[in-house]
Amino acid sequence: MEFLSSICPPEILCQILVGLSRMTILFIVASGLTLILGVLRIPNIAHGSLYMIGAFVAFSVSKWFGGGTTGFWMAVVLAPFAVALLSLVVERGIFAHLYEREHLMLLLLTFSFALILGDLVKVVWGGEYRTVQLPGSFKGPIPVESLPIPIYNIFLVIIGPFVALGLWFFTNKTKIGKISRAAAVDREMVGAVGINVSWVFAIVFVIGCFLAGMGGALVSPIVNITLGMDHTLIMEAFLIVIMGGLGNVWGALLGALIFGLTQSLGILIWPQFGIVFPYAAAVTVLLFRPTGLLKSTW
Amino acid sequence: MLRIEGIQKSFGGFMAVNGANLGVQKGEIVAVIGPNGAGKTTLFNLITGIIKPDGGRVIFKEEEITGLPAYRICKKGMSRSFQVVNIFSRLTVFENVQIAVLSRHGKTFNLFTPSRKLLIEETSDILQSVGLTDKGRSVSGSLSHGDQKALEIAIALGGHPELLILDEPTAGLSPEETIRCIDLIKRLSADLGLTILFCEHDMELVFAIANRIMVMVRGKSIIQGLPADVRCNREVQDAYLGESESGVCLA
Amino acid sequence: MATLNIRGKESWLVPILFILLLVFPLVLTRFYTYLLALIFVSGLAAMSLNLVLGYGGIYQFHHAVFYGVGAYGAALTITKLGYSPWIGFLVGPLLAAFISLVMGAICVRLSKLYFGMLQISLGSLVWAIVYRWYSFTGGDDGIHGVSMPDLIGSTTGSYYFTLLVTAACLIAMYLIVKSPFGSALQGIRDNPVRSEAVGVNVKLHQLVALVIAGFFAGVAGVLFIVVDNSAFPDMLFWTLSLEILIMCLLGGWLTFLGPMLGAAMMVALRTFASTFTEYWTLIQGIILMLVIIFLPEGVLGYVNAKFKQLGNLASGGKA
Repeated sequence: MEFLSSICPPEILCQILVGLSRMTILFIVASGLTLILGVLRIPNIAHGSLYMIGAFVAFSVSKWFGGGTTGFWMAVVLAPFAVALLSLVVERGIFAHLYEREHLMLLLLTFSFALILGDLVKVVWGGEYRTVQLPGSFKGPIPVESLPIPIYNIFLVIIGPFVALGLWFFTNKTKIGKISRAAAVDREMVGAVGINVSWVFAIVFVIGCFLAGMGGALVSPIVNITLGMDHTLIMEAFLIVIMGGLGNVWGALLGALIFGLTQSLGILIWPQFGIVFPYAAAVTVLLFRPTGLLKSTW
Repeated sequence: MLRIEGIQKSFGGFMAVNGANLGVQKGEIVAVIGPNGAGKTTLFNLITGIIKPDGGRVIFKEEEITGLPAYRICKKGMSRSFQVVNIFSRLTVFENVQIAVLSRHGKTFNLFTPSRKLLIEETSDILQSVGLTDKGRSVSGSLSHGDQKALEIAIALGGHPELLILDEPTAGLSPEETIRCIDLIKRLSADLGLTILFCEHDMELVFAIANRIMVMVRGKSIIQGLPADVRCNREVQDAYLGESESGVCLA
Repeated sequence: MATLNIRGKESWLVPILFILLLVFPLVLTRFYTYLLALIFVSGLAAMSLNLVLGYGGIYQFHHAVFYGVGAYGAALTITKLGYSPWIGFLVGPLLAAFISLVMGAICVRLSKLYFGMLQISLGSLVWAIVYRWYSFTGGDDGIHGVSMPDLIGSTTGSYYFTLLVTAACLIAMYLIVKSPFGSALQGIRDNPVRSEAVGVNVKLHQLVALVIAGFFAGVAGVLFIVVDNSAFPDMLFWTLSLEILIMCLLGGWLTFLGPMLGAAMMVALRTFASTFTEYWTLIQGIILMLVIIFLPEGVLGYVNAKFKQLGNLASGGKA
């Protein structure tokens, strides 16, 4: 690995790794968003809130199991399911009755959920910062090159492709996935051949929200869990989804890659305007390809 | 007045219009007929610039207008109505027609004169000519289907066209409404001297008012001629009746 | 059009309301005067959005950008460049209109949701720059204590200034809505394809509407400076854009004065709710949800529809 440092100084390598682990989180959240957007046609602003709830639940679960390795793994596994359950209730209770409304109305409806869920988090967990402990084995610096960031980042980078593969398997190889892709193109047609579209939608919605919760759970050990963490994230996830092409999961991966890397490397180039870079990248992409890099399902 | 040469359009591999030709002389009433899916509406969309052709030419008043945006083509003196009712459904009947009139007079960038004082007479005249005067203040989305079809034509007339294109003006109308519609088309041609191009399913209507007829089958124009010639043309009969029954004249 | 008919029987309401608003500061405490001024500011922002949303059918998701740019434009002209506040008041809206022109020219190529998405991306970029440019915009601290001319420096003075400017803007917007341009815009909202077919250059009209809306949003931003003497990056954050959208929806986005009413309701509710609960956002969310489900045309839209029904009954049930 010596040659790595000869072509690439450690701080850049470090930022690339941070960018890639950031990309994983962004991709997981954005892929859920784009799945829902592609099939149900709902720009779900509450997606960010579900991400935040995923992180807070992860905190609670981890605390319940006394932190440490067990606490961490239980949190990462259980939190997404908790979020998925919550989303199922919301979908069956409210969305299922309102699919015919205009996009604008649905968008605002999801915003109302974002407001409600955001404040409910405040009711349940209060306004303080929370943190989840990393298991000891993830804490140490990366042995190769001894980069000053936790091994956990490597773990995140490895997880990303698995999620992408899982989603690919779901949409291309499972029956529900195939039906949902057909429903995305022609809702009436799928309904006409006797498939209960409503439940297909519910399943897709829940899977999408599961991914939001998973993103929140995975990010919980490396950030301060706090109110308002949903606000910037949802905007970033939206930009990624638009950049990639609405409804395209691979597009979300590409968008997340661009976003994560411009963010982490931008800080290196011009620290003050680090956060401007990914936004500028998104705008640049959309100037040349207004409907996104990859084919949209719309 | 209007000449179309070998115009083409495909949608994702499907040739909706595949080399259609058409000529319309000033003052004529020309009908386009053909089975469902023959590409009549697509042809009209291509002529009026709603969609852009892949190939071929559209010449209007000796000027090539192929591929120009719809609003520019309209300004050159060509207006159309739509097959599926296509109106400004939240506005009143009067406002619907007035928009077209305002647009023709190039007043739509006027920001501070109230619309209600502008071009009232011209708009009212058009409403009267299609028999919608007493419905002027109704919200157009709440009209009956027959009235909405009349409004369709009224909006097209708002552009004060030399060439009026009507896409199935009688689709979905009752027999009485159809008769009124035929009268209207005849009047527009006789009184205002409008050149009219229309497409229609109702053969009786077509043979009653058209001077010349163009037949479209599977995106191609197969014949254009006088009603009598078209009626007894072999290819037309094949297209409409299937080959076994050919030999009788249509309608 | 289902609008509260200001020309019709209710026209006497307008001068009476205006006189009442002129008298209010004499009888109300400073706090309520400030609150009313804030309502005008938010209401003007919401109405400027509604010009393109309700009348133009354009999904302008990130309208707060122009509100914020107007405020920052004025504040920076005054504090950083040292010009007179009156010049700042002009610079703000003009800058907002210019940004709107640039963003609009890029976005009008697309329609509906795609427009909204691209617009929100561009808006976020503007926000990110304002948020991080500490040396010029003050970054996340914003700009505070912008000095005002003596005439409008007091709470009462700023109230009257805000009232007069808002009234002037409302009149201008009313004229625009009722002008041929307004008719064409509503035609585009209802049916862009048909508009194009009757000779209306849809994209160009949309662009002009966006610039006008950006200008008035900029005026609202300037008025915020007048009322609050400060500008901060949250004025360009997407959550505020959605709040402005809610105002339009709540009051009735197919009515002229609806957004102003929506703004009044939101500002008033927020103020009173926050005196007894810290969970204002929760209440806001629930109200929004209920309005979307039960009153999709907003409060004023609902009232108008009811009035129309009554009117129709009275005139013999004609449609």
